[in-house]
Amino acid sequence: MKKILFIILLLVELQALERDSTLKLYVGVFSALSSQNIISVYTNDREYRDIFRDSRYIKLTSRVEDANIALVTNAKSLRYILNKNIIGYNKYPILFVTDYKLLKQTPYAVGAFYWRKGRSQLLFIRDRLSHYNIRLSSDYQKFIIDEL
Amino acid sequence: MKSSYSNRLVVLLILLLILFGILLQIEIVKSIDRLKNEELLKSEQYASKISLLIQQRTKGGIESVLSRDEDTRLRLNQTLQAFLTRQYKYIFVLQRNSNGSYRFLLDGSMENPEDYKSLFFPKSKKFDEVYKNQKMQIIQQSEGTEQIWLSLVYPIVENNQTESLLVLDLSEDYAKHLNDFHSPLMVLIWMIQIFLIITIFVLLVLAYRYYILRKNILFDKLTSTHTKVFLEEFFNRNDLSDYNAILIDIDEFTEVNKLYGYETGDSIIKEFAMTILERLNDESKVIRTSGTEFFIVIPKDIDNFEELSRELFKILSEKRYLIDNKLFAITISMSAIVMPQKASSVQNIQRILDEKILEIKSRGKNDFGIIDTQNISQIQYTNINYIKETLEDGRLVCVYQPIYNTQTKEISKYETLVRLIDRDDRDKLITPFYFMDMIKGTSQYIKMSKLVLHNVFNTLHTYPDIELSVNIDLNDLYNRDMMNLINSNLYENRDVANRLTFEILETQELDDYKKIVALFQQLKAFGSKIALDDFGSGYTNYIYLIRLDIDILKIDGSLIKELHTSKQKALIVLNSIQKLAKKLEFELVAEFVFDESTYNMVKELNIEFSQGYHLGKPEPIEFYVG
Repeated sequence: MKKILFIILLLVELQALERDSTLKLYVGVFSALSSQNIISVYTNDREYRDIFRDSRYIKLTSRVEDANIALVTNAKSLRYILNKNIIGYNKYPILFVTDYKLLKQTPYAVGAFYWRKGRSQLLFIRDRLSHYNIRLSSDYQKFIIDEL
Repeated sequence: MKSSYSNRLVVLLILLLILFGILLQIEIVKSIDRLKNEELLKSEQYASKISLLIQQRTKGGIESVLSRDEDTRLRLNQTLQAFLTRQYKYIFVLQRNSNGSYRFLLDGSMENPEDYKSLFFPKSKKFDEVYKNQKMQIIQQSEGTEQIWLSLVYPIVENNQTESLLVLDLSEDYAKHLNDFHSPLMVLIWMIQIFLIITIFVLLVLAYRYYILRKNILFDKLTSTHTKVFLEEFFNRNDLSDYNAILIDIDEFTEVNKLYGYETGDSIIKEFAMTILERLNDESKVIRTSGTEFFIVIPKDIDNFEELSRELFKILSEKRYLIDNKLFAITISMSAIVMPQKASSVQNIQRILDEKILEIKSRGKNDFGIIDTQNISQIQYTNINYIKETLEDGRLVCVYQPIYNTQTKEISKYETLVRLIDRDDRDKLITPFYFMDMIKGTSQYIKMSKLVLHNVFNTLHTYPDIELSVNIDLNDLYNRDMMNLINSNLYENRDVANRLTFEILETQELDDYKKIVALFQQLKAFGSKIALDDFGSGYTNYIYLIRLDIDILKIDGSLIKELHTSKQKALIVLNSIQKLAKKLEFELVAEFVFDESTYNMVKELNIEFSQGYHLGKPEPIEFYVG
């Protein structure tokens, strides 16, 4: 019984560590994309909402319209946001996606973070960033690409 | 010594086990590395074959063929899938664009294969190096990767141009599988190492506890001097004759404790010991042998031992102690000894020093005395090995003290007394005072008795007109070996046995009279007589006169001595003994006749026989019998 309890505690601890590193990454990316001190983020993905919930730098919004950045994790969510007709260049929210295909599906997504072949992939598309007048710091320059 | 060897053996075994554990671990790590290297070599061969296959199927340029021929792309993807065994997580082919970005050309993944020409960030600059140098590289994956152990990046080269990179990602699970190959052995090694660490820890704890225990045993808590146990250990390791010794006793310290309390008494003892320690060097050892007694051993290489002893006495005698804002002095009695070369044991030295201190205290305390050489030479007489050697060498002699007919003043018989001869000075005789108590009950006692009886019977044979008596302890008669010795001597010398008297000395009260009667009968079997020694003192009582077959009574010397101190009473007692002996027809002997007046009183009392230094000292028989 003690062994099982120990394994459960270990798994919980590992999950917490993973969540912490994911949060750290997104806080970095969102801060690079937005000039706000506290960034309003919209996502309907429960997993990400759980991750962002306790952050001091990210404020979750329930309405897309209120968000600085919308994190899109699937095609359905993308369609929902696009159907709102509020997305456009020089307008908030900025779209950031978690899949390469989603990045291809909409020209409004400025960047993406996803995993390919066991490697993390972070990228930003130069002309889309310029549409939003976003200038990334030097730390993120190496992740900017010209075309998909 | 044995304990020291076993300790070393245990330490050696532990060290060997540690070494064994380390070597085994190194061997296992090497073995795992060999397995991994073999696996990498195999992967390299795979990569070479796959690369060749791709080149064969994409003649005319890999990118141009794959871009226009989707079927070939599909087939090649399936081919890559075929190579995707458990050790490989991913197999894919990348093309590097002119802007430095990588795109998928082929992907062997079974589920969700990457789209042709989709973008990929390899997370390592070594991909660029392979592209440039056209040399295969094995890349250790780092941050930002998951489930990949190593990446084998193989360049596909056509006409000296790197067309693409074949990537074989070795699975992290497979690395674990390789590591686990020796896991039972590794578990065993870990267990051995844990066991060794625990053992070392336990040994350290035990060593520490042993150290504390020894410290408590060897050091006196109050004074920081040594204890008696240390003294014993010290002279197990060191030669007694290399040291001189001092014994110091604080006079009447109980009075100090009574007057000022034990706490003050302890602080004085502490300061007293500190004063001794301050005066002596580290090689000298101070031992607190009792509450107020200190035994000191000083190496002989320190000059002027006597001067040092006197100085120490002076320092300690003149020292003042502050009690309740008043200066207080104590007196000490101190003895010192220059250790003789043949000193037998430290206990004997302590005893001699102690006797000297008693002598000093009886003279009024507060004094210092050095043991003279005469006493020193006597130390060896109390050594059992010295006595053993003496008896083995036959250095034993009998001397005879005459017993006179009191009225005629003619010698009636002689009492045999034993003496040992000094090893270095043949004229020096050692009296039983030094060795008798020590050898009683040992085989040396039987040996000595054998020599004495041999001497006595020889004398009886040589001088047919004399009678002799020998002393014998009543306890000796209970000893079967001793009785066998006496009986065999009596039988062998039965022709002269009637001229021998056994003087029986009793050191404990009798209870088994029947046995004693039987033993006396054996002694008297050939006409020997029995005398009861020291009658009138100790355990000898009147019941013996009734129950035992006795011929002679020897009045104890202490009763004779009383003739000078309590004359009237002594005369009454001795007179009654004389009458008793006469009525019971016992011969009566007065011992300890040490002067003429005693002799005259004994004569007046009609005591039949007399013995004492006034009449005749113990001498060789030739002295009395011409």
